[in-house]
Amino acid sequence: MKNRIKVARAEKSYTQEQLAKKVNVTRQTIGLIEKGEYNPTLRLCLSIAKALDKTLDQLFWEE
Amino acid sequence: MEKSWLSKFLPNDEYKERKMVYFIAESAVILALLLVVFALINNYSLYGNSTTGTITLLALFFFIAYILVRYTLSGIEYTEVTTKTKYTKERKAILTRSIVSIILIVIFSIVIQGIPANLSESADIVGPAILIGIFTFFGNYTSLRKSYNKNRNLLDE
Repeated sequence: MKNRIKVARAEKSYTQEQLAKKVNVTRQTIGLIEKGEYNPTLRLCLSIAKALDKTLDQLFWEE
Repeated sequence: MEKSWLSKFLPNDEYKERKMVYFIAESAVILALLLVVFALINNYSLYGNSTTGTITLLALFFFIAYILVRYTLSGIEYTEVTTKTKYTKERKAILTRSIVSIILIVIFSIVIQGIPANLSESADIVGPAILIGIFTFFGNYTSLRKSYNKNRNLLDE
């Protein structure tokens, strides 16, 4: 699944590791989500969106 | 992740957790296949003894029974049964299926073993068939009841 987490994370100047700690997963999981190789649960999507001050639409909606 | 005693032993990271659940399930399926091979070797070869074969079959039985019991009690089989009418219809269907399975088992037993010569031989064929039929009925009925209750609780009105 394509998403804009990497861009949003860069805007916040977070490393993958920092974001991972904030949402309580591993850095590897963040890497996999950014690459579109893992579909996170809605619960994790919400945590990531909150951590990056974005809405789910801004991060995951396909235009 | 779903509520399960297994989740206590799984990692907190959801990606890792999902992967681990798959690995454990794959391992269980392979183990079950190995048990089938092991049971065949021990029961039908000159090597080993039948006690080992029986224990292997018991382990295999546990593997299948555990999944079946969890599936039945989770109420996920009859996902569309939400009304009393559908419930009654499905219950009748279960009863019919159970009776048909008893008849089929009896027919197959007669085909394989031959027509019973006396009352005792007849009982040996009909008895287990009825037991399997009753087991099938109550298993399916429990699953239906669980599913119906679960579906009723999830209705939006």
